[in-house]
Amino acid sequence: MNNLQEVWSKRFNHYINEVQKYMRFVFTGHLALVLVFVIGAVGYQYSEWLKVVSDAFPGEWVVAAIVGLILAFSRPVTLLREPDQVYLLPLESKMSYFFNRALNWTFWSQVGLAVVVYIIGIPLLNTVTELSSTFIWLGLAVVVILKYLNVQIEFNYRYCNRGSNTFVDRIVRVVISILTVQAMLSSNFALAIIFVVLLIFYNSSLKRRVKVQPVPYEHFVKLEQNRMMGFYRFANYFTDVPHLRGSIRRRGWLNFVYNLIPYKKENAHNYLVFRTFIRTDDHFYLWVRLTFISGVIAIFVNIPIVIWVVAGALSFATTLQLKYALLSSSDFRMDRLYPIDSNLRKKAVQKVLRIFMVVQAFIVLICAIEQPLFFVPAIVVILISEITFIMSKDPSRE
Amino acid sequence: MTLLQLTDVTGGYTRKPVIKDLSFSIEKGELVGLIGLNGAGKSTTIKHIIGTLLPQRGEIRLNGVTLNENIDLYRSSFSYIPETPVLYDELTLKEHLELTAMAYGIDENTLKNRSQELLKEFRMEKRLNWFPSHFSKGMRQKVMIMCAFLVNPQLYIIDEPFVGLDPLGIQSLLDQVDEKKKEGASILMSTHILSTAEKHCDRIILLHEGQVRAQGTMDDLRKSFNMPNATLDDLYIAMTEETYNE
Repeated sequence: MNNLQEVWSKRFNHYINEVQKYMRFVFTGHLALVLVFVIGAVGYQYSEWLKVVSDAFPGEWVVAAIVGLILAFSRPVTLLREPDQVYLLPLESKMSYFFNRALNWTFWSQVGLAVVVYIIGIPLLNTVTELSSTFIWLGLAVVVILKYLNVQIEFNYRYCNRGSNTFVDRIVRVVISILTVQAMLSSNFALAIIFVVLLIFYNSSLKRRVKVQPVPYEHFVKLEQNRMMGFYRFANYFTDVPHLRGSIRRRGWLNFVYNLIPYKKENAHNYLVFRTFIRTDDHFYLWVRLTFISGVIAIFVNIPIVIWVVAGALSFATTLQLKYALLSSSDFRMDRLYPIDSNLRKKAVQKVLRIFMVVQAFIVLICAIEQPLFFVPAIVVILISEITFIMSKDPSRE
Repeated sequence: MTLLQLTDVTGGYTRKPVIKDLSFSIEKGELVGLIGLNGAGKSTTIKHIIGTLLPQRGEIRLNGVTLNENIDLYRSSFSYIPETPVLYDELTLKEHLELTAMAYGIDENTLKNRSQELLKEFRMEKRLNWFPSHFSKGMRQKVMIMCAFLVNPQLYIIDEPFVGLDPLGIQSLLDQVDEKKKEGASILMSTHILSTAEKHCDRIILLHEGQVRAQGTMDDLRKSFNMPNATLDDLYIAMTEETYNE
């Protein structure tokens, strides 16, 4: 028992550290800023809409549907790893301790979202229904109970079906969860209780099947790997996640760009860097994303100074991040051995960035065409990019 | 004529050296096998020769110059096939060949002719536009081999070449090596496949704990171990037992 306790707490600490490490970058990144604006705008729209919404609006059904859907997505966070299939095998009979801790964490890490969404729905419920506040808060308690049951059931179902046909179980739980919340919001307490009891029975029947089966390591490990991979991919938008190989796409429609590089010895690094930039999703989509944001701001914001500042900031971010991405690498590559001046790689990176920043400037120019002084943001993009490239340090020389 | 000369080379990854006072040379047109246990210092030696590690003491001369004296001449004098293939995920097979040719200043006609021959020899003609993610370990190794032979340098440095290659691939590699040797190129090859080394190498360097334990032709080695008629396998085991008993 001692053993597994240690395994779990080590895993858990490592996991939390990993999440914290990368979330720091996410919340200091440019996307966080955009999110703040979006949340603010949506919140404002919501409060304005509440002033005019008609009493016939099916508020309780909408809240029940959204909350019910969130409740049913209760993927277990087991923190299992591939070697566990071998090393934890002798502890099979004691694994319930490990899974209890895992499901506890799953519950606490996921219940927040459902609660927050329910609370956001409360002003709507107050406007369109005549629910007493007791029932509204009782409803919140039911949401928490439902989350607990959903977590348990999803885990037990995956366990005894070895991860197959999970959608059947999920549909059942989506429907029951929605109906339960809806029953509460229609002041039908008895009906809600019946649904909850139904779920409890469902869970205990699954539990009986779990008891006689070995741990489906393969399924849980794969589930866990997918989950972490998703997280790392997300974090990789904001910072460089080591060992995460960006996926590669040919993007044949951009092949014409390579014609800019004639066949000669001095162009070997250009040949390589142009292809690396265009074909690596991480690099290319970074440019696409930041260019897109810059363009959208240029279209929809009517204050020139804001457009200029945003265009400059995004030009700085694009240039700096791509310079780092293309120049820093600790892995051995064959071009380290080429009989050509290693400074040429930096020049190649400068060239590809210059071309794509001019394209960014052009797109911003088109987007800002309705504005007075429409040409200023484009000039800002090019100037800031050039200055950023020259002034920032060279990561390959660290 | 001496192509590669190592004189008292000491070096490693940290201040604690992995190879100590290493001295040997490779003549033009010679195939030399670098043999040793795991951790004996084979790959470290090779990394010093290709210049990704710099010696703490001693000197390495290729074509008469050190890396510092003339980096371009030094680097264009050899090509390297690493133990684990190092490919660019974002380049197709064809582009790997093109990039290599470009970097070594090979003109387009020569590139075309040489790559056609190599692609045929290694049976990779149909995969020209594939990305490495679709290649097996052996195919990746073949891409590295083709790039190295495309350059046509004076010295080939090949680290564990037979791992992951199918028998036809191994034969093609040995054929290529023989052909280049006849044209006057030298080859330094590290390997664990002792029977192949014994059959093909002109000279053998036995590396043990970062030092040259013995070197020379098979006859020289047999004499120095005092084991007439011994195979390289026998000598290899004798060497390890000798140190074990010390």
